[in-house]
Amino acid sequence: MTTIDLNMVGAKGALVEAAEGKWGMVIDQDLCTGCQACVTACAMENNIAFVGEEDAGYGRSMHWIRIERFWEGHYPHVKMTHYQPMLCQQCGKAPCEPVCPAFATVHSQSEQVNVQVYNRCVGTRYCGNNCPYQVRSFNWFDYNDERINKAIATLKHQFNPDVTVRRRGIMEKCSFCIQRIHKAQDKAKSEGREVADGEFTTACAQACPADAIVFGRVDNPESLVSQLMAEGHGVQHLSELGTLPRVTYLVGGQ
Amino acid sequence: MTQKISRRDFLKLAGVGAATTAVLTGCGPAAKFVTRQPYLKMPEYTYNGESTYYATTCRECAAACGLVVRTMQGRAIKVEGNKANPVNLGKTCARGQTTLQGLYNPDRVTAPTKQGRAKDLSGSAMNWDDAVATVSDILKKYKASEIAFLMGTAPDHLFDLATDLTGAMGASAPVRYGALSMFEGRATLAQAAQEMFGQPALPFFDLASADVVVSFGANFLETWVSPVAYTRGYSKLRKGHDRRRGLFFQFEARMSQTGSVADEWIALRPGTEGLVALALGKLVAEARGGSMPKAFASVNVNEAAEKAGVELEALHVIAEEFAKANAPLAIVGGPALAHSNGVETTKAVYALNAAFSSSFFLSPLAPGEDVYHRPASAQEMSEFVKKLESGAVKALFIHGVNPAFELPKSLGFEAALKNVETVISFATFPDETALLSDYIFPDHHALESFGYQRAYTGANASVLSGLQPAVTPFVDTKATADVLLAAAAQAGFPFPYADEFAFIQGKLQQFVPIAGGSFAAPEINAFTAFFQQFGGWWKQADLVAPTASNGAVNAPEAEFEEGEFFLIPFVSPTLGEAGANKPWLQETADPTTTVMWNTWVEINPETAHELGVENDDVVKIVSAAGEVEASVYLYPAIRPDVIAIPFGQGHTAYGQFAAGRGVNPADLFGAKFNAAGDLAYAGVKVRVEKTGKKQYLSRLESKIGVYGEGLGEEH
Amino acid sequence: MSDKKHHNPEEHFREQHLMLDPMPRGQMNDMVMESMHTTSWKFWVVAAILAVISFIGLGVDWYRLIMEGQGLAGVMRPDYWGIFLVNTVFWIGISHAGTFISAILRVFKAEFRRPFTRAAELMTTFGLVQAGFSIFMHMGRVWLSYWLMPYPNQRQLWPNFHSPLSWDLLAITTYLLSSTMYLFLPLIPDMAMARDRSTGWRKTFYKVLALGFRGTEGEWAHLRTAMNIFAFAIIPVMFSVHTIVSWDFAMATRPGWSSTIFGPYFVIGALHSGMGAVVMVLAVVRGTMKHMKYFIRPEHFEGIARLMLIISMAWAYFFFNDYIVQWYGGDKWTKTLLHWHEAGPMGWMWFAMLIFNIAIPWSILWNKKWRSTPWLLFIVGLLINVGMWFERYIIVPISVTINRMPFTWRLYQPGIEVPMGIGTVAFFILLYMLASRLVPLIPVWEVQEGQMAHSLTKFGRETVMTVSELE
Repeated sequence: MTTIDLNMVGAKGALVEAAEGKWGMVIDQDLCTGCQACVTACAMENNIAFVGEEDAGYGRSMHWIRIERFWEGHYPHVKMTHYQPMLCQQCGKAPCEPVCPAFATVHSQSEQVNVQVYNRCVGTRYCGNNCPYQVRSFNWFDYNDERINKAIATLKHQFNPDVTVRRRGIMEKCSFCIQRIHKAQDKAKSEGREVADGEFTTACAQACPADAIVFGRVDNPESLVSQLMAEGHGVQHLSELGTLPRVTYLVGGQ
Repeated sequence: MTQKISRRDFLKLAGVGAATTAVLTGCGPAAKFVTRQPYLKMPEYTYNGESTYYATTCRECAAACGLVVRTMQGRAIKVEGNKANPVNLGKTCARGQTTLQGLYNPDRVTAPTKQGRAKDLSGSAMNWDDAVATVSDILKKYKASEIAFLMGTAPDHLFDLATDLTGAMGASAPVRYGALSMFEGRATLAQAAQEMFGQPALPFFDLASADVVVSFGANFLETWVSPVAYTRGYSKLRKGHDRRRGLFFQFEARMSQTGSVADEWIALRPGTEGLVALALGKLVAEARGGSMPKAFASVNVNEAAEKAGVELEALHVIAEEFAKANAPLAIVGGPALAHSNGVETTKAVYALNAAFSSSFFLSPLAPGEDVYHRPASAQEMSEFVKKLESGAVKALFIHGVNPAFELPKSLGFEAALKNVETVISFATFPDETALLSDYIFPDHHALESFGYQRAYTGANASVLSGLQPAVTPFVDTKATADVLLAAAAQAGFPFPYADEFAFIQGKLQQFVPIAGGSFAAPEINAFTAFFQQFGGWWKQADLVAPTASNGAVNAPEAEFEEGEFFLIPFVSPTLGEAGANKPWLQETADPTTTVMWNTWVEINPETAHELGVENDDVVKIVSAAGEVEASVYLYPAIRPDVIAIPFGQGHTAYGQFAAGRGVNPADLFGAKFNAAGDLAYAGVKVRVEKTGKKQYLSRLESKIGVYGEGLGEEH
Repeated sequence: MSDKKHHNPEEHFREQHLMLDPMPRGQMNDMVMESMHTTSWKFWVVAAILAVISFIGLGVDWYRLIMEGQGLAGVMRPDYWGIFLVNTVFWIGISHAGTFISAILRVFKAEFRRPFTRAAELMTTFGLVQAGFSIFMHMGRVWLSYWLMPYPNQRQLWPNFHSPLSWDLLAITTYLLSSTMYLFLPLIPDMAMARDRSTGWRKTFYKVLALGFRGTEGEWAHLRTAMNIFAFAIIPVMFSVHTIVSWDFAMATRPGWSSTIFGPYFVIGALHSGMGAVVMVLAVVRGTMKHMKYFIRPEHFEGIARLMLIISMAWAYFFFNDYIVQWYGGDKWTKTLLHWHEAGPMGWMWFAMLIFNIAIPWSILWNKKWRSTPWLLFIVGLLINVGMWFERYIIVPISVTINRMPFTWRLYQPGIEVPMGIGTVAFFILLYMLASRLVPLIPVWEVQEGQMAHSLTKFGRETVMTVSELE
């Protein structure tokens, strides 16, 4: 059971940095081909709603991970920037956390991620506003209600029973597949051992055909994520804001 | 022996086999007994909160990637890649991930239906006994020569069954076709290999072992032939050898998703790929010294660069990298093949590989095959359609393909179908062709099916990927193999298999004695159990670089229709040929444009400015064969004389998420073919007309942030 | 022309100043009572229309919003906050005028305030009601809004006191309660007056609200003490509440919002719109209600307009201060945001805001004659309110378009917020109209007190107004 320690809510960066049990991710943008496998894998794993053409075009798509890209130069010397998968950075000092009046988004001590407590959320959307990465999605309608979206009546059979189906009026976001973390931890605990690096991974990392996404413990120097982070050409987005993001982007190559 | 074991007996055996050899995947009980139940009322062998995993094969395209399906209480929850399958090694693509939304799609054909060629799904359901009797009647009623089978691209057990059945009846062999195989230009690749290496094989470009890759139009990271395998290879290329990152250059007229990750993307005039490949060959040979291969001797580099509209300097830079490389590799594919000179273009690139590359191979043959059986080319399909039109075919069985959508309109499939007395569709979804049929006898979804499928490329192994049901059928469907076998038995054809499973076992029998496979089993039942457990059977193949007949290769100019703009149709990287009915694929943004849920027309911003059109203006694209209307996307990375339209939308049927959405660029294609018989769809030229309408495209990206719209920075 | 009319300076003074034009208390009482009871059919027609609009906006539309979801509004990523928040800030702004006029002007003994303190205080309370509606409309799961209150519960879950929204909730609640009390205290003698002059249900109504006030010396002494305490106490509440509202924005990690000047800038902005609203209300009351031309005179408009001019200048100072400091900061996102404000598709709104809030007040209010013209001030007040609404619109949905992730930038297009916002306006006016039938709009005792304190004295040839200290 997650308890809330006020020291862990946003303000005390040093404590958070020193904390144990940190999960993190490395995304190698040089390997990313923009294929969107992570996007659909995430949707399938986490029961993410689809919103339809009009809402999707109006910035209401529910993607927990999106692939950004920009352009440089003009034809014929035009270049696309590296594809940039953008998901919740699971900040150590998350700007979303202190602004929620209901404690619906908090830092979990055991996994060191930002958790969104769906049934505590009252929908002020302050967290979404304050997220510098703009990776939170709000349930503008009851997209997953079969009375409203008739197709859900059959599509719901696919829903992952480990993940809550969200209703209207609440915020959601990438959870680092916390259900998978827990499953692996429970299994390891029952076998009296630690979770091994690479024993499990998030849905996006598992699907990624280019192995551009690597997930693991960032406080374990032996793990693949830590080794990749140590290679030195990684950046953390908007780290100048002091958010202590847990996702490192490798942009080497060119 | 296989004839005597019932499926139930087999499954018991399989269950025992699986339980005692719990390796990796599929260690649950055999799928037949897993039923979809309320979560509170579970079959006795399932544990609360415990998942059962089944290894099977992805059927969203013909690449034969292995899947492991996670099920819970009889529901399929999630698919992951099968780590054991050599094609995808545990990885999946976006289309594979959403296969579950096909399984639980609200628009499936829920029962055998007497469709009667009605406009919408007729809804007059039949029972399966009558359905089998109907098929049996047809087999009896018509002469063997009057019966035809049309099937999907994938070479699977059903294709083998239909081949055996038609063989036994004396009918013509089943025809395989899919829009993807048309866009991939498989016939061209095989024809060029035949001409150059004396073997009509699919090429295998081993990106993983290469360090400099030059691609001519190949969209190998999107949908081309085996995208997951190629993406794995690409990843290895970039990770590099000895920490030296591999380089990748792309020549194409419109920046594809594949081109977007290239170190240099070089726009060339459509149809000049072969010429550029030869010029590159010459420069590389010069840089490397030694004798000039005959293939490149006659080409004039300056002239080639000028014809292709490519900067000479870029060509020199790439040639230099290519020459320096330890393992250079040249790839050809996509629209480059779909020109009148497609075969020559392919040969030019093959020549480049033959001269310099150690990473270019011909794909190993699939298990049980002596030669590569490619799907029908568009020209062969055109002849097939003519045969239908002539009335020579009285009964047509269609499975796994939707020709009313996937064949260009200009081939006249719909009209030809009117001359076929009885059309039977085995479609899982009410697609356009199913609606044009007299009967729809829906097959199971792939995740509900037994079967196997040969993988034609993507690994240095000979791969037979296995299918098994992860869940019991969700609606009242029946395996087409069972329908055909039962009908054949009723019609009195001597056919030695009791049911689909017996047939599969019968076909697997030949692999039991082969040594050196991915697993060994003393007899067929154990073999089948392993086959299901590992998700297939494969055998390492030694890849041998082919030796080329060192002949001259020429690069004739491509022929084009009359028109203002080159048209580059490309398969939507997210939707593929048949993804439009899955809502989550529709809502997955196209990688390069980020458009969702619709069709767009890519136009260079400068061209658009000259034409006086803006983003989201609806334009009419007119070719000699037809016209379509779609919204404009100002695409910065496309030649000003080229427009591009994705293929994948434009359905008139195929369920609520697909129907009435977007347009089909295949409506613009003429009926011109290249020397290998592939459709020369890239030779189409079009003109653009304004309509004055506006329809906003749903984009994931921000026009403000990405293109500076409203910030006074628009281009 | 006026020379001819007013050859007697004393008469001139009397006509100009309510305080020098005393009437017997009884007559004033009757006038106020009559103004409450004289209701034409037009009043009910207007009230009925407003009731329908309020019902649609706050009833039907809100029901749909709750049942179907926030998607009916124009909000999306990145504009998670839209017009509901604009309206919240706007109504809280409006509510500032009441307290400002009645507390600050009372404390500083600005005598011209006397006849319209009540009208301004009513605005405070009714404005806060609309602000409350607007913030609850904004919530995704409004049926759980009690979770924001620190109430004891078994699982020991508390609201997050780190969140500016929690501060906001407490500040607004405090302000609503204290401003209601502050409205009520000076109302007691008038309720007693009305009680003594009514019959039937009205008498019961006033009787309850008058709390048995009889006008004894002791009662007056207590009342005055209470009012003085409140007048001083409510001033910091008023300043803090809008400062805290500004912190909802200023505490966020967003370009354009994290600005230290936001507190005073919002307070001044609130006063700007509030004074505009007061002047509009007074113009309507004077124009439509009986006897009001006696109580509310051009001198009052002139006085408020002078304040408006000063506040407009102060607002301009804070606006440019905020702008220049942000621009000078050189942060690339903030620079883009400022560019987006002016040159983006909503640039017209940015320029309209400057014209309505600065150019128009400055070019009209400098002239004393124009300052004393009620209809002209009504228009100026209206434009200032539109301009201030634009200002909040620019701060909320237009500014949140620009964040640090350019891939997500999107322009906000309002939906059901518009009819719901109109509903709050209609409901505000409706409440005010109903109150004008039930609550004496003029604090008669306060006017009389002023009239008793004022007198004309001759110094040589010059006639001047003198005020004696009452307490």
